[in-house]
Amino acid sequence: MSACSSFHPSGLLSRRSMLRAGSLGMLGITLPKLLQASSQYTGPKPPVRAKSVIFLFQWGGPSHLETFDMKPEADENCRGPHKPMRSASPDIEVNDRLPKTAAVMDKVTLIKSVHHKMTNHNSAGYYALTGKAPPSDDQRLRESIELFPGYGSIADKLIERPDPAMPTYVSYPHIISDGTPTPGQFASFLGKKHDPLYVPSDPNDAGFSLPQFSLPTGLSIDRLRHRRGLQQFIDQQAKLMDFSAEAKGLDEYYAKALGMLNSTRIREAFNLGAEADKMREAYGRTTYGQGCLLARRLAESGVKFTTCYFSDSIGGQKTDGGGWDTHGFNNTRMYPIIEQYHLPITEQTLPTLLLDLEQRGMLDETLVVWMGEFGRTPKINANISRDHWPHCYTVLLAGGGTKRGFVHGSSDETGSHPATNPVTPDDVAATIYYLMGIDPRSEVMDAQGRPIMISSGNPIMEVVA
Amino acid sequence: MKSSALPRLTTTAIWLAAAGSASAAPSFTHDVMPLLSRAGCNMGACHGSGSGKGNLKISLRGESPAGDHAVLTQNVRSKRLNVDDPESSFLLKKPAELTEHEGGKRFEKDSEEYRVLHDWIAAGAPMDPPDAPVLTALTVSPPQAIVTGPARDVQLTATATFSDGTSRDVTRWAVYEPSNLLPKVTRDGLVQAQKTGETTVVVRFEQLKTPVRLAFIADRPDFVWNAPAPRNLVDEHVFAKLQQMRTLPSPDCSDTTFVRRAFLDVTGQVPTRQEAESFTAETDPDKRSKLIGDLLERPAYADHWSMKWADLLRVEERILDTKGVAAFHGWIRQGVAEDRPLDAFARDVVASLGSTYENAPANFYRSLREPTQRAEAAAQVFLGTRLGCAKCHNHPFERWTQDDYYRFSAVFDRIGYTILENKRKDENDKLEFVGEQVLYLNNQPELNDPRTKKPPTPALLGEKADLPQDTNHLQSFAEWMTKPEHPLFARVQVNRIWSHLMGSGLVDPIDDFRLTNPPSNPALLDALTEYFIQHGMKAKPLIRLICQSRTYQLSSTPLPENADDTLNYSHPVVRRLPAEPLLDAIYRALDRTPDFSSYPDTKTAAAIPGVKLGARKSKPTEDDRFLKQFGKSPRTTTCGCERSDESSLAQVFTLTSGPGIAEVISASDNRLAALADPAMDPAEAVRDLYWRSLSRPPSAAELEFLSPLLAEPATRRAALEDITWSLINTKEFLLRH
Repeated sequence: MSACSSFHPSGLLSRRSMLRAGSLGMLGITLPKLLQASSQYTGPKPPVRAKSVIFLFQWGGPSHLETFDMKPEADENCRGPHKPMRSASPDIEVNDRLPKTAAVMDKVTLIKSVHHKMTNHNSAGYYALTGKAPPSDDQRLRESIELFPGYGSIADKLIERPDPAMPTYVSYPHIISDGTPTPGQFASFLGKKHDPLYVPSDPNDAGFSLPQFSLPTGLSIDRLRHRRGLQQFIDQQAKLMDFSAEAKGLDEYYAKALGMLNSTRIREAFNLGAEADKMREAYGRTTYGQGCLLARRLAESGVKFTTCYFSDSIGGQKTDGGGWDTHGFNNTRMYPIIEQYHLPITEQTLPTLLLDLEQRGMLDETLVVWMGEFGRTPKINANISRDHWPHCYTVLLAGGGTKRGFVHGSSDETGSHPATNPVTPDDVAATIYYLMGIDPRSEVMDAQGRPIMISSGNPIMEVVA
Repeated sequence: MKSSALPRLTTTAIWLAAAGSASAAPSFTHDVMPLLSRAGCNMGACHGSGSGKGNLKISLRGESPAGDHAVLTQNVRSKRLNVDDPESSFLLKKPAELTEHEGGKRFEKDSEEYRVLHDWIAAGAPMDPPDAPVLTALTVSPPQAIVTGPARDVQLTATATFSDGTSRDVTRWAVYEPSNLLPKVTRDGLVQAQKTGETTVVVRFEQLKTPVRLAFIADRPDFVWNAPAPRNLVDEHVFAKLQQMRTLPSPDCSDTTFVRRAFLDVTGQVPTRQEAESFTAETDPDKRSKLIGDLLERPAYADHWSMKWADLLRVEERILDTKGVAAFHGWIRQGVAEDRPLDAFARDVVASLGSTYENAPANFYRSLREPTQRAEAAAQVFLGTRLGCAKCHNHPFERWTQDDYYRFSAVFDRIGYTILENKRKDENDKLEFVGEQVLYLNNQPELNDPRTKKPPTPALLGEKADLPQDTNHLQSFAEWMTKPEHPLFARVQVNRIWSHLMGSGLVDPIDDFRLTNPPSNPALLDALTEYFIQHGMKAKPLIRLICQSRTYQLSSTPLPENADDTLNYSHPVVRRLPAEPLLDAIYRALDRTPDFSSYPDTKTAAAIPGVKLGARKSKPTEDDRFLKQFGKSPRTTTCGCERSDESSLAQVFTLTSGPGIAEVISASDNRLAALADPAMDPAEAVRDLYWRSLSRPPSAAELEFLSPLLAEPATRRAALEDITWSLINTKEFLLRH
């Protein structure tokens, strides 16, 4: 039982220790900048900047050194064979294998100084999905009502006037896991009603639709309506609904379920077939590519928070699936794998999504978050690959009220530690909430009835446009 | 009761002087600290938070006056606090908002708060002398009250008594915290209820807290008490409270409602058609009592009530492994079936060591591998006490301090584990164990109090005395906890059983007993506890007593006079069936058995012993998914709250269009096969479906409406499926009423 872990923003420097850090000149942090973020945020409730969030979770941990924080000046044990290229933003260079991505860097904010201490996928993944440091760096950290819910569940709990016809929070197409399902994907102590609408099917399948909408064989929607009629008739006899709030609430779910089965709006939102082939090709005919396209459709139809997981597993050992966990295990090698799989799929999806949102005039109101649970070791290992590195990595934000072509924070010469403006996952979480118009200081009651702040971090005001 | 005029208070500085201090300066402990609490400075969301706010961190709710004094006076000529120029101190300027303050204005410049703080700073910001009097008691008047409308106001008066024998009115300096949103309490202790209902206002001054239970009831001049005579002590106390609250109990429930309710509550299963029908037809006036006696002896009773224990004792396979789960579940189930006294049961759970295969209750500590975990679990399960808060700071709503927490945790230290083998399937999962373990007492303390970095001296919860070094502390704890006179153990067991049957605890949440969370009906809890102790701390006599009461057998349909009551048991509150009984009821209605990948030989959901570790080999079946979705506990903590009885949209999708339910209904060999025979009278087929699913006959209107649907042989099977679907989706089926 991890009492009170949430009361303590572990991993977050207290202001007192930051003062000490400043005076000792540790990490080269300049004191005024350090204090800026927390002193700027005083408001009780921020305005809604991001009407929707698209959270693209890069499971396995992408290398910051092969994507957005290249170190060409570092020695060969660190810099690797890839070369950087200039981008549409004068302040940003990216891997030259990502030219289309480079061309949209004028639309994004990069935070190059994200850091924490969790070296295992599940503990770090939980941290990334919730903004709450886990009680321990447990490789098999598991879901428990003592752990925190994901951002989308918090949003579902706190957002004012949710759309009754649309889910607030949708996640797909996997439940991510590393040995055990990673905590932070569901509503935990907030209760099942704040779970995401989880869609366990592949958006790249020809007949993709919400499985909740596919009725079992022999059950047509008309027959279901007939059954609902009989149910209502019998319900009237027992009169439970005349007085029981529980009965009324349950019946509202029936009305909603039947309504959703009949609704064209939600059905349409999930209908990828309505997209032109050209558009579908642009995103790429992959599970993740079509997932990104689906995320755009959901944002368009009013879903507040969509999580699209890059992969179900940490992967890293093959070129036709799996996540970013490229250690070089089993005589594999990181570079050919990311060159053939992870980088091309990123190059096809991320710029396509950002341009698509921009073209539709949605980017300013849609926050795209591209992040993994950690980065990868600055020093290339014996397998010519990289291992886990939570001490410094890059998070990409775009739209939803963030600055364009902007870089916040920086890493040292090898990408090992933050050099300026260190940021924790707590701060990233606070920023997401802030942009959604949710006060990051809001409290929710945990399973023991204790009030817990949804984030112990500070919104990074520097990245807000 | 109308608000009386506030007593005139002299300034605290003066009253402290009167209390014998040599200095005229305000006392830090008795003036400044209460002031900081009252202004909200040390709340969890403000400077009392773990990391403080705005570079100032003081103790949560003022639990540490000495520490706070050190923080505030670190430099007495600083911006924060300047004894040479008090008015320039942030300690005054910020809360009075004379300069920017994130926390807003806490008091005015011309307030008494400002003046006391100012005078204290001007006097050199001193700490109280070591021989200064200390607070010994906090009394609040009235100690409790029932307020009959239209008046909705109660003025509370708080009096502090000090070790030098003096006492003072501290109404204006106390903090008032209501337990719910019913009332507003002004800073001067005036409680104003917004509507009728009950609340507890906790009055806090320094570190003492006094709860005041208040009830605001409607003025019903025409109210006449006309409930039937109490049948047993349950009714005596419930009815007495209802009468006091000018509320009537609902009438008796029907036999068909009773038979379904009793079967579900006592055995977790719905009655078969034959059982429900013959009970309803039976004319013996004592048939309800007889039924309860019969149900208590069934194997399903043991399954159902062991499941509740297995939830709390974490009977799951990741840590205990398959063999351990079988052993532990078997041991629990045998104890439940034999109605083993709960004190003996509990002693075995908290004091057993040895092989986790041979000595099943040792599995409790196999799950709980750290001393603090064990202490928190034992307190939560057996003493209904949530200690977690006190790990990091003194409990805000209870008397438990961090000292209590670590000293109690030390009772559970020095348990060693000999891992005879570990054939875990996942090398990286440090909490997966497959193989026998032997637990033993060793001499290696592993627990350190993080504040002192030393092993704490063991003491039982709330006891001053150290436990002797050379004794078995687990045994001492077991004996101490289960003494009949222990203020919590028996009450917690009684309250849990009550809650299972009645839907909510007399103390609720059931694992949160504390001074500031008093029972809704203290006399009833006392009487039930006495009965429980007199009957050897056995569950069955208590269940029998409760189920035989009129209170248990009331109709859930409220009367106009009791519709608002959710606290005093004037009528049962309707709630969803838990996952296992619901799934079993669906299968029983259709004469089928569920299919669990995890425990393929298990015929009912209620009999599943444990929770399997993941599902790496076998995919979960629809029935496994159903149980998870409807809130079966994953058993990863010792909190009953892990089981969820809330409803969700996803559950309704499962019930309406899920493949599992579709399969049960459409299976060619289910109960509908017999009913589809055109030779059977359609009305009889409808009656059969009703008895099997709802434990009642169809009404004339239902029979008239539904029977014709079965007239056409070609569509009869489809019509039966439609009616069945509708029956298992009615609120009457899904809810316990």
